[in-house]
Amino acid sequence: MSELLQQTVSGLTTGLVYAALALAIALVFQGTGTLNFAQGEFATLAAFVSFALSTAGLSWWLIVPVLVVLAFVFGAGVERLLVRPVEGNGPLALLTVTAALLLGTNAVVALIWGTDVRSMPSPFGDAVHHVGPLTFTAQALGGGALVLTAMVLCGAIFRFTPLGLRLRAVADNPDSARLLGISTGLMLAVGWGIAAAVGAVAGLVAAPTLGLSPELMTNALLLALAAVTLGGFSSRLGAVVGGLLIGVLSNLASRYVPGIGGDLQLVVPFAVIFLVLLVRPQGLFGRPSAVRA
Amino acid sequence: MNHFPCDLTHSTLPAVTQAISPDRSANDSGGGAPPALVARGVGLSFAGLRALDDLAFEIPAGGTSAVIGPNGAGKTTLFNCISGLYGYEGELTLHGRPLGRLRPHQRARRGISRTFQTPALLDVESALQNVALGAVAHSRVGVVNSMLSTRRRRREERETLERAYALLQRLGIAALASRPVAGLAHGDRRRVEVARALLSSPSLLMLDEPAAGLGAEEAQDLLAEVEAYAGSDTTVLLVEHDVALVMSVARRVVVLDSGRLLAIGTPDEVRADPRVVEAYLGAEDADGPAPERLHASTGDAL
Repeated sequence: MSELLQQTVSGLTTGLVYAALALAIALVFQGTGTLNFAQGEFATLAAFVSFALSTAGLSWWLIVPVLVVLAFVFGAGVERLLVRPVEGNGPLALLTVTAALLLGTNAVVALIWGTDVRSMPSPFGDAVHHVGPLTFTAQALGGGALVLTAMVLCGAIFRFTPLGLRLRAVADNPDSARLLGISTGLMLAVGWGIAAAVGAVAGLVAAPTLGLSPELMTNALLLALAAVTLGGFSSRLGAVVGGLLIGVLSNLASRYVPGIGGDLQLVVPFAVIFLVLLVRPQGLFGRPSAVRA
Repeated sequence: MNHFPCDLTHSTLPAVTQAISPDRSANDSGGGAPPALVARGVGLSFAGLRALDDLAFEIPAGGTSAVIGPNGAGKTTLFNCISGLYGYEGELTLHGRPLGRLRPHQRARRGISRTFQTPALLDVESALQNVALGAVAHSRVGVVNSMLSTRRRRREERETLERAYALLQRLGIAALASRPVAGLAHGDRRRVEVARALLSSPSLLMLDEPAAGLGAEEAQDLLAEVEAYAGSDTTVLLVEHDVALVMSVARRVVVLDSGRLLAIGTPDEVRADPRVVEAYLGAEDADGPAPERLHASTGDAL
């Protein structure tokens, strides 16, 4: 029983990374109506930048806010310079751009830092804590807290600030929002910026556990896509809950389902995506889309 | 029911644009003030289909004016051009200032506000929050301030919510202030959207079929309340199928058909225009003399 509990809790801590990435994907989808396939690569780039800043001697207390600001500016800049020019050319053009961003960002990271897997020290140390029958690494606790804080802050901005109300208005009905005087272009850039910042925190937290390489977030992106499908693309809360559920499901399946193990863990997200699309396409928390005939 | 015959041919339409009397427009505007809206040669095509063709008209400042016409006449397309959702040929001028290529949010900040045929609200938000969104156009709180709990932001937020609540009270739906709009009846959603449009203190308020889904009396009351609240600084422009309602409230009526200007004038002038009479009631399925039938269909307004 205690092992099951341990596996569940471990799944939740890894699930937080998927949740943050899923949240970032959902934010972009709600604003732009497209999947940003490069969201994982943005997070990988952020992890490498934090590694570079750490190597340069910057304290972790400074790295986190600097990284968040840099990621925000990067995300907003990508929207403004690369996404917006093709926005009017339909969803396929947008998907192509995000796929190109995935490949391009991956190539740039590999070009600058190489393709070898590097070890990245945990900002939270190597200590191990015991709480009753459960064991936590400092990285899991600190990283989990950091990701959770980023998601709560993001949620608070959306829920409780005038900026959030404008972002929600643009996500819900861009035309109506424009006519209210909201600059949808600015709001989309801000949305991409916030998404990149949340993803950056996910990359920063994932790197010490998974090892720093250009492929850092490749699997995490697939799991995040499953999470956002499960939770619902139209729901930020759904994306987070989906991420946590996917983390737990993957962990439990690799431990208890014969034949899956660590190598076949990615079967779980694919199975989840397939089942959700079959049974409840809008996801657990999503709203079914209605198209006026 | 569509009173417009579908087979009305363009060849029968005179060049109404040339018939607009600048003198009359100036008089309508009153006191030498520029008209609220001037259209000069406004046109738009969709994939070769002429949706609007060389429209030229003036809407006097203040009071209520209306755009009428059959389905496909281009009424909502015209609204979309005025609000900047569609690009167009020609020129639109708001209170003497050309709108040029201003984008929709910039036009909103210039004072243009509108509602939709189907109310476009944030379904998961409360009625109060939806109305509060109307204040965005003139908000002085920027992106950074709006993320922080600054004194300016708090003050503006409080004032906006107070104004939004007062508007809901005025439109008789204050009891719904905290309810998500998704669950509201169509008429209440319509009122919320109108309240949102009013909150921005627009100089041109465009209402797209405000009477749809409302009873005749409800619609009259809503429009009377809108005009009373908006005051003389706001010009209300309606797109409306309910001709009787239009004739009872509008100061000037623009009649469109297949994207072209069919007639323009006061309700009496439009009602007396044989082209409008023919367009509205047609000749072939007439049971009696057309003018009498048009008079009857707008009888409530007389």
